[in-house]
Parts: sequence; C-alpha cells; structure tokens
Amino acid sequence: MSRLVKKSPSVCTDLPLNNTDICAKLRLLKQLVGSCFGPTGRLKHVHNNIGGHVVTTSTSAVLLAAVSSSQPLVSLIKTSILNHVSRFSDCGLFAAFLCLDLIEQTKRTALRESVAIRVNKHLLALCTTYLQQEDCGCKVKLDFCSSRHLLQLARSIISSKPACVLTEAETLHISKLAVQAFLLSIPCANPGIVSLGRTMRVSLEGYSVLHSAVFPGLLINITDDLCVSEPENLHSTPLRVVLFSASLAGDLSELGDGTIELHPGADTDSQILDELLKLGKQAVDHEVKLFMCQKVIHPVLQHFLRSQGVIVLERLGIALMEPLIQLTGAQPVATLHCAIPAKAYGIVSDVSIRQFGSKKLLHLLPSGETAICTMVLCHRNETMLSELKLVCQKTEDVLRLSLKEPFALLGGGCTETHLAAYIRHKTLREATDAASVLGCSQAEYLLGIEGFCRSLESVATTLEHSGGFSLIDLTHAHHWRHAADVMPERTETILDLCGCGLLKSSPDKKWMYLNTEHAEISPTALSRDTVMQPRVLDSFTAKLNALHVAVETANLVLDVKYIIQDVN
Amino acid sequence: MPASTVLNQRQHIGLQKLSALAGFSHSALGPNKTYKFIQDDASGESALVSSCVRLFENLELTCAVGQLVYETIQAHHSVYRTGSGSLLFLAGAWSRAALECLQRGISVSHIISAMSEGIGICLDVCNKCSIPVENLSVAHSESFTAMPFDVRLQQLKKPVVEPSQTSSNMHREHKVSQKATSTVGQVKIKLSRHFCETRVENLSTDSQPPEPQGPNIAHIAGGLSHGSADAMKLAVEASYLQSERNQQANSSVTFDISKVVTCLLPGLSEEHACVLPGCILLLSAEQASVARHLKNQHIRVALITGDLSYNYRHLGFSRAAGLHRVSDQPALLSSSKEDEWLGKVVTLLLSLEVNLILVSGLMCDTLIQCCCGHNILVVEKVKASILKTFASATGAVPVTYASQLSRQCVATGVKVELWRDLGYQYRKHMTAVNISTCRNSGLVTVILTSYVQGKLQALEDQFWACASRLHHALKDRALLPGAGETEMLCIHRLQKQAKYCTNWDGDTVQRATTDTGTTHYKGEVLHLMADGLIDYICTVMVNTGRTSKVRARTVVSQQLQDCNGPIAQFSQLFLEDEREEGVSSSPIKTQAIKIYDNLSVKQEAWRKALDVVFLVLQTDAELITGMDHETDHVEENVMLL
Repeated sequence: MSRLVKKSPSVCTDLPLNNTDICAKLRLLKQLVGSCFGPTGRLKHVHNNIGGHVVTTSTSAVLLAAVSSSQPLVSLIKTSILNHVSRFSDCGLFAAFLCLDLIEQTKRTALRESVAIRVNKHLLALCTTYLQQEDCGCKVKLDFCSSRHLLQLARSIISSKPACVLTEAETLHISKLAVQAFLLSIPCANPGIVSLGRTMRVSLEGYSVLHSAVFPGLLINITDDLCVSEPENLHSTPLRVVLFSASLAGDLSELGDGTIELHPGADTDSQILDELLKLGKQAVDHEVKLFMCQKVIHPVLQHFLRSQGVIVLERLGIALMEPLIQLTGAQPVATLHCAIPAKAYGIVSDVSIRQFGSKKLLHLLPSGETAICTMVLCHRNETMLSELKLVCQKTEDVLRLSLKEPFALLGGGCTETHLAAYIRHKTLREATDAASVLGCSQAEYLLGIEGFCRSLESVATTLEHSGGFSLIDLTHAHHWRHAADVMPERTETILDLCGCGLLKSSPDKKWMYLNTEHAEISPTALSRDTVMQPRVLDSFTAKLNALHVAVETANLVLDVKYIIQDVN
Repeated sequence: MPASTVLNQRQHIGLQKLSALAGFSHSALGPNKTYKFIQDDASGESALVSSCVRLFENLELTCAVGQLVYETIQAHHSVYRTGSGSLLFLAGAWSRAALECLQRGISVSHIISAMSEGIGICLDVCNKCSIPVENLSVAHSESFTAMPFDVRLQQLKKPVVEPSQTSSNMHREHKVSQKATSTVGQVKIKLSRHFCETRVENLSTDSQPPEPQGPNIAHIAGGLSHGSADAMKLAVEASYLQSERNQQANSSVTFDISKVVTCLLPGLSEEHACVLPGCILLLSAEQASVARHLKNQHIRVALITGDLSYNYRHLGFSRAAGLHRVSDQPALLSSSKEDEWLGKVVTLLLSLEVNLILVSGLMCDTLIQCCCGHNILVVEKVKASILKTFASATGAVPVTYASQLSRQCVATGVKVELWRDLGYQYRKHMTAVNISTCRNSGLVTVILTSYVQGKLQALEDQFWACASRLHHALKDRALLPGAGETEMLCIHRLQKQAKYCTNWDGDTVQRATTDTGTTHYKGEVLHLMADGLIDYICTVMVNTGRTSKVRARTVVSQQLQDCNGPIAQFSQLFLEDEREEGVSSSPIKTQAIKIYDNLSVKQEAWRKALDVVFLVLQTDAELITGMDHETDHVEENVMLL
C-alpha cells in the first residue's frame, strides 16, 4: 500500500532585494568577506557543529566553500566567486566584497535596478578600456630582467594571509622560494612551444618556516625506512625506473561490480601472485632499480624486489603520477597481465635521501631538463601550514598568469581609489550624452556613477580593520591610511607612504578623507623616471577578471525579480 | 536543510575562552600535581586525570577555540610528552595580555609584531642561558649561580657553545669549576635518595677526570625529575640499562625512548616498579609452559607484521565481492582449505626450526594450538617499534605472510626467560616472560605497579614525561636552569626592553613618523608579556605549597628589583617537593638539588602557546557548518546565512 504525501506548494518571493531577511544575509556575507580582506584581515574558525577539526583561515576559497545557505542569492554569489577563484586563484575576496557592495549601494541610492545594471556595465567597460591602455596610471609593466617585481608580487600575496603567522624575514624567505620554484618550472633548453613544468609541494609540520626549501626534481615522503636498501650503491649511472598505475596488491580489483564463477579448487590469489612475481622477475632482469606503484604492492613482491636490491615505492597516489611521468619519461603500466613493454621504462639520474628532522624524503633527480621542482614547506603547526600551502599554490598561479599578461596592478587599495577618481573625472564631461545613450536621466546616471565609485573606494577602505582612516591624495588619487588614535595638525606628518608604496608623503601634497565629498580629481600618472618603486603589487589578470565577475554577478542579482523555491 | 552559521562576537570572546580553558592548567603545574575527577552526569562514568592532556582527552569540547587548543596540546604531547601544562598556562596568560592590549586600544597588528619580538627575546635568552650537559658538573652549576648577575649576563651574551667546540672547552671549564670549588668551599652534593648509588659517587667533585666526561645522567635526572622522583629513577635505570652494554663513547650518550616499553601490573604495591632489559610480555598459562621449554635453548625467531591467519590479507587488498565458487561435487568444507594452509605453515615453521614467532597483529587460535604442540612460542600484539628493534638486532626480516618465510628471514640471537608468575591478572592466569636479544639492542621494559588500577595511567604518564625529559636533555645536549630561573631572566630582559622602548619614545619627540606610536605600544605589550611569565612563576610557587599567591608575587618582584643592582642574582624560586626529607622551618631553604628544564621542550611550548594566541587574537568569527537550524538549538548570538 502506498502512502500519499501531500506536496507543499512552492514558495515564491518577489523582489528578493526588498526582503529584509535576504538583505540581512547579504550584509552578513559582506561583513564576513570584508573582515578577512588584506594583510591585517581577521581570521575565521571554520568547523562543524559537533566539534570536528577546526580550520583557521581568511582565504576566500576555503571560507566560501564552507558557506552553505538556504538562500539562492547567497549560493549564486558564492558559486560565481568560487568559479573565479578556481580559475585565477587570487582576488576572490575582492570580487565577493565588490559584488555585495555594488548591490548594497544600488539599494541605498534607490536607483532603478535596470538603470543601475546599464550604468554598471558602461562603467565596467570604461574601466576595462582604461586598464588595458598603455598609459594607465595604476598599472606596472613587469620587468622579467630582474626578480624584483616577481618578488614583490609574491610577497604581496603571501603577506595578505595573516593565518600563516609569518614574520617579516619568513615572508621574504617564502617569497624567494616561490619565485625560485616558479623560475625552475620554466624550461629553458628547448625552443619552440614551451610547456611549463610543475611545482610539487611537500609539507612538514613542526619545523621552522626558515627550513623550507626548493629542490629540482621530486621529493617523495617515505613512511617506511625499509623501502630503500642501500641507496649509496646507486649513485653510479642513470637508474632505470618502472611505474605502475595498476594496483599490484594481488586482488581482483578490476572486477568492479561484475561476477566471476570459479571452480572451488582454483586459487586466484596465488595465481595473481605468480603473475606479479613474473613481472618482478622481468623488472629485475631488465635491471630496473626503482619500482614504483600508484597503489598497493603485494608484500611478497616487495620482499622479492628488495632482496634483489631494487628500491620499492608504493601508494604514491594519483597526484604524484603526472609529475613522475614527466620526470622519468616512463609510461605508467596499467595492467599486470602482460610483460612490461620496453618503452614503458623511464630513467632518473640520481636517487638520494634527504633528511628533515626525523622525516625522510626520497629525492629523485631527472636525467634531462624537465622543469619539475619540489617545494618543501615547513611550519610550526598544522593550521598555519595548511594556510601556507594554499598561499604558495596561489602565488605560483599568479606568477604563471603574469607570463600571459606581463603587468601588475598597484596594490594596497591604490588601484581602486585611482580607478574611482578616473571614472568620476572621465564621466563628468560626457554625462548628458552618455545618459541619453543609456536611456536614463542625467541625475540617475550620476547616482549610478557615485554608487559604483563608492563601492570601489570602500574596497580600499576595507583594508583597514583597526578603526583607522583612509585618505586619498588629490594629485595621483592613491590610497593612504593612518591609525585611529593619531590626531594630526598636519596630515603629511602622520602619513608615510601610500598603500602601494609608490608615493611618499610631502608637504605639497593634499589629502581628503575617503567617502567624504571632495572636489573632482584628475588623476595623473606618475612620471616613469621616479625613484620610488611600488612595494605592493596585485595580479593584473586575476584582478581584471575579478572586476568583471563582481560587476556581472551584481548585475545578475539586481536583475532577479522572483525566487521560486521547491520546499518539498 | 543545513545552513552555515556565523557566531558574531562583539568583544573578543575567543581570547576570553582561551583564558578560561587555560584555567585547567593551574593545578597541573609544578612538582605537586593534583588529581582531578571528571564525571559524566549522564552515564555516571568518571575518569581520574592528573595532566592537561588527559583532561582534554576526557572532555567533549565543541567550541572552536577548545578544539584548536586540544589539537595544539596533542601535537605537542605526541612529540614531547611533557610541557603541555605550561603551554596551556602561557596560552592563557598571554591571551589575557592580548585582551588587556586590546582594551588599551592597541591594534591587533601592533600586538602581534610586539609579541613576536617578545618571544624572540625569550627564545634568545633560553639559547644564551642554556648549559651544555657536559658542563653540568655540580661545581660548575654552583659557580654559575654564585657569580654576580652582571657577569652572568655577560656570559649570556657569549654565543652558545657549539657542540663541536664543547670538548675543547672542557679543560678550561674544568679549571673554572675547580677554582669555584675552592672559593665556595667543599661543595656538597646531596641528591635525592634514589640517586645515592655507586655510579653517582664516582662522578662527584673529588674525582678528577683526566679527559672529557660524558654527561652526569644522575645529576641531570635529579634536576629534571620535577617532583616525580620515583618515575625519574625508573627512567634513569632504563637509560643505564640501555647504554650499559652499548660500548659507545661516553660523550655521545643518548636515551632512545622508542625502545622502551611499559608494562602495567595492577595489584602490586608501587615499590615493585622496576626496570628490566629486554621486552616483558604477559603470556597465558599454556604459552608460559612453552616458554619454560625454550628457556635454555637455541632460539630461532620469525617476525610477522599484521595478522597470521588463513583469511588475513595485507592492507590495501580488496576482496572481490562477485566471486562465486561453482562445483558439480558437494562443496568441500571451507575448513579443509584452512586445514591445508595450517598444515603448510606448521611444516614450514618446523623445517625452518622456528621456535619463537612475534606477531604485530593477532594469530588464529588453531595455529597457536598447533604451535604450542610443537613447542613454538607465539607472542601476539607486539608493538611495531619492538618488532623493528628485533629485526635490526637479530637480522630477521619481518614478513607479512607465513609463506614468505625462508632461511634468510629467520634469525637467531634471542633469549626467552620466565620472569615471574603473576597469578590472576586481567581475569586470566598470567605469566610474565622476558624476551630479549643476546646482543644489547637497547630494549628495556619498565614495569609499573599500583594497588589502585585507576592510578596506573597517571604513573605511566609520569614515567613517560620523565623519560622524555631525559631523552631531550641528551638530545639537545643542553639544559636550562629551572625552577623559574630562566623565566626570571626572560622577565628581566622583557622588562628592560620595555623600559628602553618607552624611554626611547620619550626622548625622540622629534621623530615625525608613525613609528613613534609603535615603539610606545611595544613597551606596553612587552610588559604585559612579562607579567604573563610572572603569573606563571607565582602559580608554580603556590603549587609547590609553601607560599601564598601574595607572598610569591612579593618574592618575585623583590628579586627583579634586586637584580637591577650590580651584584644581584636570581636564585631558583621553587624547590623540589621536600616533604619526604622533612619540611624545614625556614621558608627559603638552602637548596639540595639544582633544578633544570629542557631547552627544546620549553622553547617549543612557548612558541606554540603564542601561536595559538595569535590565531585566536586575529579571529573575529566562527563559521559553523552542517548546522540544521530547524532541529538544532540555535544560540542567541548565532546568525544564519
């Protein structure tokens, strides 16, 4: 007998942005991402309600992934930001905050949504064009002839995550390592199409950050010190390598859900083991010195191989397979039912053991140039180490992006304030024409611009978490900050450098507090021969994309008129 | 539908929580530890704990800060096995310091940079005042403390003696100590009653060693026992047993605690605790009779990792689910295959003349029976580290399957001795058997006994704490002056630096940058950090039982004031528990034993404590996942996203 359950009707919310509950949730999310922003951002403990492992972070990828909301608009924004982060790694918090602030600004100015969307689109196009221009005032061309810009880029990213708890010296050390690893992953021997190598990361808990290091080749964690018999004998010639992707555990793992009918007398286990031993003998005959498997190797086979002086490594995991293939030139063997083809063998030039405290790592060196390197990351505790690992991954991604577009944007909020000033200046003259093109009144147009610019400026303001004040200078429109408790008679005495470090305070400069009414600025770019160098740089590609994602997501959210939810 | 929840915290609740959690540690500090009962009202179960780690293990902490603290303590304990109490206490004390800073309006980033500098100073003081273990003759330590304070500070400014240089410095050091001896007069060594053994005597001051000597373990241990003299006595004996037949150079003495096993026996008085070479294992009556057979025999040993049974397969082997056995004959009994396997294994064992099998997992009962019949002794559940030690000492190769056994895998060089008939233990008749290698492999068993079964865990913890202190002392090859002396030096340096920052700030009014504020804050933060350490010292002094909190504070501040004079010095503030020797009438007694602390353990505990404070200090919200707001009780300060 079947039971009939009455379905409840779907719930429809019209004009979701007029709903106070939804607005409160969006504001909460904005606070959440905003408070994480920048090098002095606040951290969040992420854990489940039954007291599981605690993750302490301020990284958007971890934070937003943990957010699960019953509110579709929150999920929409979250998904769109996470998608940006998965592609560009950087500027997730920037995109999320800008998007949420744009929505809030539009609500506050009571502008019609359709007008706001059109104005936002127009201004986004304006920003994009400006940022792509050669003479853009907040852009720096990366100089690959020296490592200075790369180091600054790396340092800006690494120091933006306070959960790593790094001192100044440690930040510098990690930045150097990140750049070194990046340079090692660029092959220089072969001309033509260049494919980048890769950086593997091994993390070791309980050691000082300054013990972190970068090595060419691969370092593999060895749990069992029996797996290397006498590596010192092996230094002579290149070593032959075989790599299995199939499980050599001796089970019928390939069976899946299928069934096999067997004679009761048949002993499958010993038959498979015989196959395995046959493989092992072949490997020994072909003078294989390094026998590796992604999965488990049967202990009998391991025992046999070790007794023949072969180094055996098992349970390498899927993540190591691709770099191992690149490093050794071996082709992974996917079956144990036929002889190992000759071309499947690979080569390493040297094997040695590296000791980090009590941990042992097996170091494999390539015989040719393969642009594979390993970064050993050390930190005192697990929480900080996992954040450090994320940050290093992010730095690598950003440095690689810089190869595509060799530019960087000024960091420390200077790009945002500069862009806002540029838009205000640029749109003032052609307000009448633009308004008619966009099909709105001039007042609406100006309101839209004000909202957009304020959102950009509030991104810069959000960098301050201790109640300090944000200022903008009236010549270059860079971002400046001072602490809450200094009450100055003269502004230039309490300011030192601007957010990106390109400008120094001087008596002839004039400042205004951000988000106060100020006269229109025509931001001038700095002359190229300046002695000052920017100290904080942001990824150009990631930030430009984040700007697009933020504005387009905000426009999409503003465009939503109904939410229909199936509550069954 | 589960929704994420954000806890909004207006004040810094995290730091307050941390400070509250650290309250647990107050009674766990110092030489006199008190037990705590934890009772579960729902189930009526209770646990007896005497250390922070055990306390946290038995509490169900659901808050994020609690979890973070627990993870930190566990990480520390798994490596060092001691020092968790001071880690927790300082995390609490410094979180209060951070709270105070926030109240005074110092920004988070300023607090962090100043505290980082503070910990740098403390770690630096530790490095500089550490004493190489080779120099720890009694006379030397006396001369060190007898020196005027400024001279000692001078000494502190010297770079730490590199281990390679120590031997060359030995002669010079020795002269210094001799001189000191003559001025101070005959130095009396008075060690705890447990160390008045012959070994101690020939290392005392009157013997004039012609060449550099190894560290004086008895002296080090006396200073590191921290109130658990009985446990330390066992640890020292274990280290002697380990190094006795190891013909190593004396200067490179180590204590390998991975080769130490503990064996807990309830029902005997605590005086029965002892240390034996080899590995003591409890066997049932019938196994014991096999062992009796093996007593004076030539023994061949096989080592098996994992279980030894017909059905056992190695880790990572997955049994195929869809395997059907089809037959036209009536099915053979599955046991017949097992019998076949059993026969094979026994034949193999007999042909290899194996008489002892050590298994890290379990062994099937029928095979044990068979082995018993053939006088083969089977020991199950042997720890992996012990198996490894046997492997390296005898040359036997551990294997996973019995079929792998061959002549090369089986080795000789093992002794089996009956140690003691224990009568009924754990509801079975048990006999303790000592399995050891003929060559000294360093394997040592510590037998811990108590009439009260609930106390055994605490005794075991105490033993491991002592053993690990000794281990790290020999590994670091350096020790810190204990009983608050190192902390006093740190406080002194922190306060001096704080004063310097404040003064410097006042002098340079002209400086027109934002830095001025920073230096001023730094002074305040360093002062508060030093207060945290003062709090620590006072709490330990109160716990030693002879002073009140007020008096302790007076003593500490008196000493700090005195040390600003030219001839002041810090003396050790809290002494070993001396109840056994009769409490002296005067509150400040001439000290019998110089107390030491471990260098690496202390540095690591301090660093970790500050790391937790930093993480909590910078956190302003919790994100709770998987909360179902319809069924769960939603707290007031929880906001749903």
